[in-house]
This record gives sequence, C-alpha cells and structure tokens, in this order.
Amino acid sequence: MRRWIWLSVVAAFAIAYPLLLSSPFQQRLGALVLLYAIAASAWNIVGGYAGQVSVGHVVFFGCGAYAAMGAYAKFGLSPLFGIPGGIVLAVGLAAIVGVPTLRLSGHYFSMATIAVAETMRLIVTNTEWLGAAVGLSGPTVPRNIFDLSFLSALPYYYLFLAILAITLAITWWMTNSRMGFYLRAIKDSERAARSLGAPASRTKLYAYMLSAALTSVAGALYAMMFGFVDPESGLGILISVKILIMAALGGAGLLFGPLVGAAILVPLEEISNSWLGGKGAGLTFVVYGAIIVLIARFQPGGLLGLLTRRGKPKTDMSKTDTSKTDTGAGHAP
Amino acid sequence: MTLKQVTRLLCAAAMSSALVSGATAQDKVVKIGAILPMSGGTASIGAHAKAALEVAMDIINNAHPELGSLPLAKNAGLAGLGGAKVEVVFADNQGSPATGQNQALRLITEEKVAAILGAYQSGITLTSSAIAEKYGIPFLTPESVAANLTERGFKWFFRTTPIAPDFVRIYDEFLTDMKAAGAKTDSIALVHDNTEYGTSVANTIASGFKEKGRGGVIDIAYAVNATDLQAQVLQLKEKKPDVVLMISYTSDAILFAKTMQSLDYKPPLLLADDAGYSDPSFIKAVGKLSQGVFNRSSWAVGPSGSPSAIIADMYKKKSGEEMDDTVGRQMQGFFVLVDAIDRAGSTDPAKIQAALKATDLKPGQLIMGYKGVKFDDKGQNILASAYIIQLQDGENYVSVWPKANGEKAPVLPYKGW
Repeated sequence: MRRWIWLSVVAAFAIAYPLLLSSPFQQRLGALVLLYAIAASAWNIVGGYAGQVSVGHVVFFGCGAYAAMGAYAKFGLSPLFGIPGGIVLAVGLAAIVGVPTLRLSGHYFSMATIAVAETMRLIVTNTEWLGAAVGLSGPTVPRNIFDLSFLSALPYYYLFLAILAITLAITWWMTNSRMGFYLRAIKDSERAARSLGAPASRTKLYAYMLSAALTSVAGALYAMMFGFVDPESGLGILISVKILIMAALGGAGLLFGPLVGAAILVPLEEISNSWLGGKGAGLTFVVYGAIIVLIARFQPGGLLGLLTRRGKPKTDMSKTDTSKTDTGAGHAP
Repeated sequence: MTLKQVTRLLCAAAMSSALVSGATAQDKVVKIGAILPMSGGTASIGAHAKAALEVAMDIINNAHPELGSLPLAKNAGLAGLGGAKVEVVFADNQGSPATGQNQALRLITEEKVAAILGAYQSGITLTSSAIAEKYGIPFLTPESVAANLTERGFKWFFRTTPIAPDFVRIYDEFLTDMKAAGAKTDSIALVHDNTEYGTSVANTIASGFKEKGRGGVIDIAYAVNATDLQAQVLQLKEKKPDVVLMISYTSDAILFAKTMQSLDYKPPLLLADDAGYSDPSFIKAVGKLSQGVFNRSSWAVGPSGSPSAIIADMYKKKSGEEMDDTVGRQMQGFFVLVDAIDRAGSTDPAKIQAALKATDLKPGQLIMGYKGVKFDDKGQNILASAYIIQLQDGENYVSVWPKANGEKAPVLPYKGW
C-alpha cells in the first residue's frame, strides 16, 4: 500500500509542478526534464532491462524528429502526423539493424549501434530532400492548435507528462510480463537463459523495437517543441550519450531510474550553463564528464541503486522481500 | 521503499531548479542579450565575439570623441535614455539549437533584456529568434547568412550582414573589372564543402552567375574537415578554370593550399569567400603558400588614426588577436542595435522595433565596409556590402577593390608560393 501512496505523491507533485514554479524558464525546464525522461526511459528498456548498451539510440530519436518536421515541411501537415510515420520508420530500422547486431555482445553491439547512427547522420547531411546540412524547420507561426507550437511551456509539459506516464506504464507492464523475466534472465547470463529455453534473440529484438518506437516519439516531441531539426541536433551522437548518462545516473534497469537521472541532469545542465556559460568556461561538460567517471567507478547501478542497496537490510528484515538482489538492477519498485 | 526515495530526489531536483532566480532590475542600465557559441567546436568564435562586444560596450559607455562620426561614441552612455549604460548578458548556445532557444527564453523572461544579438550558427539563430518573435523582442543577427532566416515573415528579426545574393553581386562586379583589366574570367570553378554554409552559398552563386550570363561554372564539392583533397585539386588541374572560387572553412583551406603546392597547381585567379581564408590561423599556417589570393571581407583596417584603426587597436589589446571580418560584423551589428535603442529613447520593444525599421546609417557612421544600414520589410540590410582584399605579401590582407577603397592595385596572376 505504501508504494501506492508514494506513487500518488510523485504524480501529484509532477502535476502541480508548473503551478508551484510559474516562471516560463522553470516551466520549460520541467518540460525538458520530462522530455529527456521519456527518451531515457525508452533507452532503459533495451539498455537497462535487456543489458544491451545501445550508444546509437539517437538514430531512432532522429527518425521521429525528421518525420515530425518532414510532415510539416514536405507535406504541409501538422507535425503530429509525423509521429506514426516516425514510429514505423524507427521500428523498421530497429528490425533491420537489430537482427544482425543483437547477435553481437557487449562492446561490439555498442560499437555497431554507433556506426549505424553516424552513417545515418552522414546520409541525412547529404540528402537534399531532408534539408541536408541546413535541416528542416517547423511552422514559424502556428496555423492551428495541432501545429503544437505554443509560447508557454505548459501544454508541452502536460503532453510530455502524459506520454511519460504511458512510457513508464508500458515498461512496468513489460517487466512484469513473461518478456520482463526473459530479459532479466538474458541480462544475467544469456547462455544460461538460452539453455533454459528462453528465446533470447527474439526477446532482445522485441525489446529493441519497443525501445526504438518510444525513442522516436521522444524525438518527434523534441522537434515539435523546438521547431527545428538538423543532422547535429537530431542525429548527433551527443544526444545518445546524454540519454544514456541520464538512465545510468538514475539507475539503468530501474523503472524510475531515467526519471531521476533526467530530473538531476537537465536542471544541472541548464543552470550551470545559465550561470557559467556566459563566461565561456564550458563547465557544463566538465560536470558531465566528472559524473560519468564517478558513476562508472563507484556506482554502476545508478543513484536509485545506491538507495536500494543502503535501504536493503532494513527492508529485508521488516518485509523479507526476497526478490531484491544486491545488483540493485532489474526490478520495479 | 524506492518510491519514497524517488520523491526525495525529485524534490531536491525541483528545489535546484527553483534557484534559477530572476535578476534584479538596475536603474539606467539597458540589458542586451548575446547568444554565442562559448563552448564546443566554435568556442573561439564566441570568445572573440565577447571581446569585441566588450570593446563596443567601452566605446558606448565611455566618452570616445576620437572616434568621430561613429554614433554613440562621443558621450558616455546613451544620450536618448539620459546617459544610461549598456550591459551585455552573454549566453552560451553550446552549438545546439535547443540550448540556444532555452537561453533566448531565459534572456527574455529572467534577464529581461531589451533585445537579443546572436547566434552565429544559422540553425541556432533560427530557433532562438523564433522565441524572440513569439515574445515580441527585437532579435538582430550580425553574422548568420542562411537565406531562409529572413524568409519567415518575422516582424522582430533584423540582419545587418551581407548574404549570398550580395556575394554574387560583389564577385560579378569584381570579375567584370578584372576582365576589363585583362584577366580571363570565362570559366569559374566553385569549390565548396557539404555544410549548410558551403552548399547554400555555392548554390546561390551558381544560379546568380547563370542569371548574369556567366556560363561555364564547374561545381566541385568535398566533405568538410577533409583529410585528403588531392582528387579535388587534380580535377581543377584537369579542367583548367580561369577562376577558382573557394568556399571553405579554415582547416580545409589550409589543406587546399598545401595540396595545391604539392601537386604544383596554380589557378590564374584564386578568389576566396571569406570564412577560413579570413582566419588569422590560415595566414599563419599557409599565408606564404597563398600569396595573391583574393578574399571577400567587409572589414578593412584603414589608415592609422581612422576610427576603424583605433577600434582594431582596442580589440587587439583586449583579445590579443587581429580584428577580422567576423568580429567586425558582430561589433557592427551591436552598434546598429544600440543605436536603434538610443533613438527609440526607451527599452520598450515596440519602440526599438520601430527605430530599427527606421534605421538609415551612412557609410561614414559605420566601422564596416557596408554602403549603409537600412532594413527592408524582411529585416535584411539592403546596403550590406563587402570589399575584395588580397594577400599580396603572404602576411597581411590589403584592400584592392572597389578602386575607391583600394589601398593597393590588385596583382595578377595568382603567385602562390
């Protein structure tokens, strides 16, 4: 029961946030946190639960972003119509890329995904129809509400909140389904999982495709909010890295890990940039780098993993919850 | 129990975002936002621009009677606002269109700036000016050249820099004059990279030359930050164009100079489209291999004691670098913006917008080689122009065209090394 109380507290806070902090910049910050939380949660499905560290996830982000802007720039439609197109593109690409690359293990899989993302970036940079290096822009002045071009960040905030809730619900449902058990087994030891009859390749591919679809939605939302996409901002490797770090900081393989990571890193980046960026110090990136090093060295399970581990002895004594393992990964709260 | 801890973390994060507080308004200070690349691959551009804007602030906020007819220099502060001082709030765009837009929002809503200047990269100018347009805050770009920026029907967007159609006119007139002086200019090769800058400028020049009846344009493209340019140089060697027009960033411009020397290729007339060829590091690296290259620039130092020479000196003291075309355009854009605020006599955005629209500066009131500053309905400066300069000794560019502004006569053919 307490779990549900805390969940409703978090939800109530998320809904009330824009009312508590009403300056436009803070509301926008809130919307950005949710946007990156969607992307990081999508990555979490394949990177966290299945343990397949995709560093080229931006390619799916780009599918969504380009589909949304393309719908407007090429066909004069609302960018919303690009979302299904982006999902189809991303899932198709995930299937094509996933079949051969998911056979690779560990670093080799990560490297293959980087190669795919960089290839795609170069192809788009040289494709005139997709705006080449110039990029595609959205409606400059909204024609109607479906162009999703708002002055206030509030509509974006609640739209992103709803989609984040859906993303987390899908993830939660997945972890408690047969697929979630397969994924955890594969993550711990793929060979053992196979020998027990788990369809490893197929499960990984499904997770990859699901993750791609949700990442593409995040990309489409991003493009709609900023009204512009070019190869660097839609397909640049730095976006993959950002998503990955958010998930890892909060706790990869935990339902709320990516949300915590985004809630810490997005404000950190924007605030440090606001305070220090004008001085030309590039300090934001120094902080980013330091965080990666610290997580990798001391807490590969992420911040939530840290709390779970710290809180564990008490929990175990009072509730004798045997499902918790010391890796801190692979289970929903 | 995890959710409880999640809540705690979320609360902490929310509190940290609450720390972004608005700045308190000060009396008699006009705040102007500047969005620039202060980190990432083009950080040096941002650092130079910052130094240039600080020099401009010094000129505006303190009395500089030695700068003659330059508006705002004579007295301290803005006369139109009772001697108010100008303060620039710098923001880092990190080379990202999203960050640029977030910073524009912050400058407008938190810092309460009267106007915004920015943002170097055309894509970032595009996203950050969209926010200024929605809020009704004047946005002036002194240096972004992408054609689509002024085609969006914006009411609050202004651009002082010359753009690709201006380049077409300048090169066409220059080549016509060179032909009259005896040079062959029948076939022209356009060498450009595949970036937004390279492709858009090359396309505009190619179609513009066609309209003006210049046939025989050869298009030679390469991938930006190339590691090998032999194929392109060999292509030039084979086709023997009369004029080679280079549209390249610094590292590629340097590699072209080296490759041309190693393959012993010298075009009769080598003309560069600003960018890499104006970079002081290009001259340091391969100036001696590129003697006689022509280049487009709106900046010329001018005789010593002239306002532009004094400003160049102030800039060098501040940044340690020679003043170049890019920082000159940024400084000029800033002067135009502040001049409009001064004439508006107010920080009310609508009044500044009206003053910008009424801008009519003469060449004598500018530091750059524009024919003046006057905006059309789209916000583009219709009097933007440029000189042609030549690297005659391999160390310093001298202006050679148009004749009225020329320090020296143009020297042909291209000497190389």
